[in-house]
Amino acid sequence: MARIEDIPLGTREAVVGLDCPPPTTFPWVRTRPLAQSRIAILTSAALHRRSEMPFPVGTTEHRELPATFPASDMLMSHISINFDRAGFQRDINVAYPIDRLKELAAEGVIGSVAETHYSVMGSTDPATMVQTADALAGSLHQDKVDVVLLCPV
Amino acid sequence: MIEARGVATVVIGLVRPHMESSKPPRGLWVPFPLGRPLGEPEDKTFQHRVLGAALALLARDAGPVVLEDFPEDAPSMRDQPGWQPQMVVPEFVTPAATDVKAWMSGLETELASVLPHWSAATHRFGRTTVGISRVAPSDWAAFAVRFLDGSVPESPIGGLSSAVVMRYIADDMKALYMEAVQAIGPQPSSGQINRWFWNHTLAAELLCALRAAALASTHTGFNTAGSRFLAPAPFVTKA
Repeated sequence: MARIEDIPLGTREAVVGLDCPPPTTFPWVRTRPLAQSRIAILTSAALHRRSEMPFPVGTTEHRELPATFPASDMLMSHISINFDRAGFQRDINVAYPIDRLKELAAEGVIGSVAETHYSVMGSTDPATMVQTADALAGSLHQDKVDVVLLCPV
Repeated sequence: MIEARGVATVVIGLVRPHMESSKPPRGLWVPFPLGRPLGEPEDKTFQHRVLGAALALLARDAGPVVLEDFPEDAPSMRDQPGWQPQMVVPEFVTPAATDVKAWMSGLETELASVLPHWSAATHRFGRTTVGISRVAPSDWAAFAVRFLDGSVPESPIGGLSSAVVMRYIADDMKALYMEAVQAIGPQPSSGQINRWFWNHTLAAELLCALRAAALASTHTGFNTAGSRFLAPAPFVTKA
C-alpha cells in the first residue's frame, strides 16, 4: 500500500504532499560491527503505557518504553486515522519490532538491545523537536546505544 | 536529528518520496501498508528479513545517504481470496441522524454480537489495543449519540475535552470491531477489514453521522475532532 499507487485515493494526496524539507547537513556516524552494537528503537507511532494519558496533538514530548514493557500494556494514540492499525492489533512487532531485536541479540547477530526505547507523536512538525532530539540523544548516550532503528508508521 | 547528535541511525520508511526528500543517512524503503513498517504481522521470518535488510545498511561505507528498496511485498498486503468475516453483525437500518433511541438500541444490539468475538480476539492475540478513551465499551454509545444533534456534553474524563474523548471512543470502537473480526480464521488484508467495518456496521454509520454533525457544528473542538479524526478519507463520502 505504501507504493504510491496503493495508498487509497483520499489519503494519497495528503501523504505525498506532506512537506519534507531537505536536510541542510549530512551527518554520518561510523558504528561498530553489528555484533557489537547496542540498538534502540524510536517509533513515531505514539505508543505508551495503558496507564498514561494519550499523546496530545502536536506534542513534542517523547515517552520511554522499557525493553521489558509487556505488549499487553501498550496503547497507540497517534492522531492520524489514515494508516493501518489491524497489523499492530495482531502483533506489535509489525510496527515496534522489540521481540525481533531480542531474538537477534540472543543469536549474537547484534550486540544487545537497549534497556529503553522511545516513542513520539509522528504527526508533530520535526522542526519543533530539536529539544526532544537533544533529550533523546542524552538518554541514548547514557544507555551506551550505538544504533537507533527508526520505525515511522 | 539523532545522527547529528552522534548516534548512528537506520530508518525503515514507508513513503519513498518522503525518504527521497528528507534524505536520512540510511534508509530502507518498504512497500507495505502505512502502519506496518515490518510488513507482516505474526510472521517472524518475514519481519527478520526486513529487519536484516535495514541493519545491513549499517555496514555500508557509502554515506552520507544510502537509500535502498526492500524487494518483497508482504503476503497480507493483498486481499485474501474468498475471505468472509466469521462474525455476523445484525442487519440494521440506519436511524435518522437525531433519533437517539434508535441509535442506542441498534448499537447496543450490534455491540452485544461483537463482544464475544472481541473476547476471543484478546485471547488469540494475548492483548487488546482498546483503551485510550478510558470509557467502558458499554458507555460508548450513550456518550457518542449526545453529539448527534450538535450538543457537546461534559467530558467524563478529567484532563481530556469531551470532543477528544469522543474521538478516542471512535478509535476504541474501530479497534474493538477490527480486533473482533480478526479473532477467527485466516488473516484478511487491511483493505478487507476496513471495507467490512465501514460498509457493514452500524458503528461505522454512527461515526459518519457524528462526522456530519461535527461539520455542521460551530464548536471548534468538536468540529475539528469530528470532521478530521473519525472517518478516514477513503470512506468519508458516506457522511
